[in-house]
Amino acid sequence: MTMQVLFDVKQRTARAVRLLFLTTLISAAPAVIHAQEDAQSEPERITEPNLALADAPRQNLSGLEWLQRLAQINRTSNFEVSFVLTRAGQEMTPYLWRHAVLEDGLEAEQLNLQNGPGQEMIRLGNVVSVFEPDVQPYSIYASAISGPLPSDLLYNPGALSDAYQFITIGRTRVSGRAAQQLRIVSRDNKRYNYQAWLDEETGMLLKLDMVDLQGSLLEQIQVTAVNVTEQPSPYFSRINPQALPGAVAMTPKPRQHQWEVKFLPVGMEEIKRETRRLAMTGQVVEYKLFSDGMVDVSVYVQPAQDSLDSDVVLRHSTNTFLSLTNGQVQITIIGKIPPQTAYEIAHSIGAAGE
Amino acid sequence: MTQQHEKLSAFMDGELDDNGFVDSIKNDSESLAKWRSYHVIRSGLRKEASVMPEFDITAQVAAALEQEPTVLAPKAGWKSLPIVNKVVPLLRQSGQLAVAASVAAAVILGVQQVNQQPAAEEPFTTFQTPMIPGMPQTGMAPVSLEQSNIVPNNRSGDSDALLQKRRQINALLADHEQQLKLKQAEEQSQQAAESEPNQP
Repeated sequence: MTMQVLFDVKQRTARAVRLLFLTTLISAAPAVIHAQEDAQSEPERITEPNLALADAPRQNLSGLEWLQRLAQINRTSNFEVSFVLTRAGQEMTPYLWRHAVLEDGLEAEQLNLQNGPGQEMIRLGNVVSVFEPDVQPYSIYASAISGPLPSDLLYNPGALSDAYQFITIGRTRVSGRAAQQLRIVSRDNKRYNYQAWLDEETGMLLKLDMVDLQGSLLEQIQVTAVNVTEQPSPYFSRINPQALPGAVAMTPKPRQHQWEVKFLPVGMEEIKRETRRLAMTGQVVEYKLFSDGMVDVSVYVQPAQDSLDSDVVLRHSTNTFLSLTNGQVQITIIGKIPPQTAYEIAHSIGAAGE
Repeated sequence: MTQQHEKLSAFMDGELDDNGFVDSIKNDSESLAKWRSYHVIRSGLRKEASVMPEFDITAQVAAALEQEPTVLAPKAGWKSLPIVNKVVPLLRQSGQLAVAASVAAAVILGVQQVNQQPAAEEPFTTFQTPMIPGMPQTGMAPVSLEQSNIVPNNRSGDSDALLQKRRQINALLADHEQQLKLKQAEEQSQQAAESEPNQP
């Protein structure tokens, strides 16, 4: 407790110093305005903060307005972003993310995992094609690539309002840019919280932290380079849409379950329910998927005879894995939520209609 | 009291051989404070000190700990969870939730046993969702289950039951990851079908 406070004080001092530094820069630096570079030129790494461009009215935007601006940029502009994903206790994973609006108005997006054998996901309109090692390429219908950044945060922040509050903190400097800091806080304190830093000039996301309820960092996405261009990246002109695998349509087959989840964090909703077999063991499970836009929670219910015999709580990467045997059934909760919340969800499961 | 301080000073220098003295300090808050500041001064003299005498957090931390609410956790203690207990001794040291070591160990096993699926005789037909070429139910790669350097320790000591357990945990985690990938697919498929009815 006390340590935390002391640390905060230190941080605050550091921030104050940084801010001071920023202010000095703003007042002293002459207006350096970079013309938007030609699309054909090599992507230019950001070296100088365009602090002079930060105009006053933006200071008054609310948290949601900042995120709406982010969504607007993400849907309509041509950009190339490099970022690294860091999770507690794991190596950093670098990604390259490109987005473009092609001449015919079609949205194109690419997310590439840069280390190891890699993984490439390409979205043209509402079809996402996935290329992974050891797996045949495939395409599915989706309006966003499912990557480390929550798609609702990038494209539809309004959908998060039920579950989270957006609080503007102030200006800081991230990736060498003047940035606006936001906190994204769950309304009921049952989920992890986030801090986001958005570029003041372009509105792009520069950094996203996921912190647990005690404030320690669980996952961090740090942008290392942003390049917003007028023309789409030449990469997209090299994609031959005919060469991509055909999209597989998946028709939902909702099944009625005999059970329901009676406790959910505020703003979390069921988005899928079905009965199927697990790919790896062939066990039959009844399944529900819940989402609040930032995190997804899977709930599995299966007969207790193939159960784990004992209750298990694990943390796998940033996911909480909790499994309880309750009478005749084994209940498993998986998702990026605090163990206490997983426990509450698991214990709220009861017979449907009661 | 002065005598007490002298004894304290002597004790610090290792010149006092009296075990009972330690207890008498422990029970006397004034001596305890003295003891602490002597140490700070000594560290300062030896230029080891990075602390200020008033920077005494132990008392505050202890007080804060007492006020700390008990963390809600499953009734079974961590140590009574067999998988955690056997697989991740780290847990006991750090008091954290178990790391993914147990899962990492199970990955290999999952791949080996992937083809031993029971025949599809149960009445659950729903699993015949359209086959995605890259994601057949059998050959699915163990998705993103820990690429880091955690090495399964004492494999030989693992019982079948434990391995079975890991495999099940692994299967659920892999399924969760897959569901997230396909999250939007159904809804969007419908929309695509509605907007382009002529498409196959």
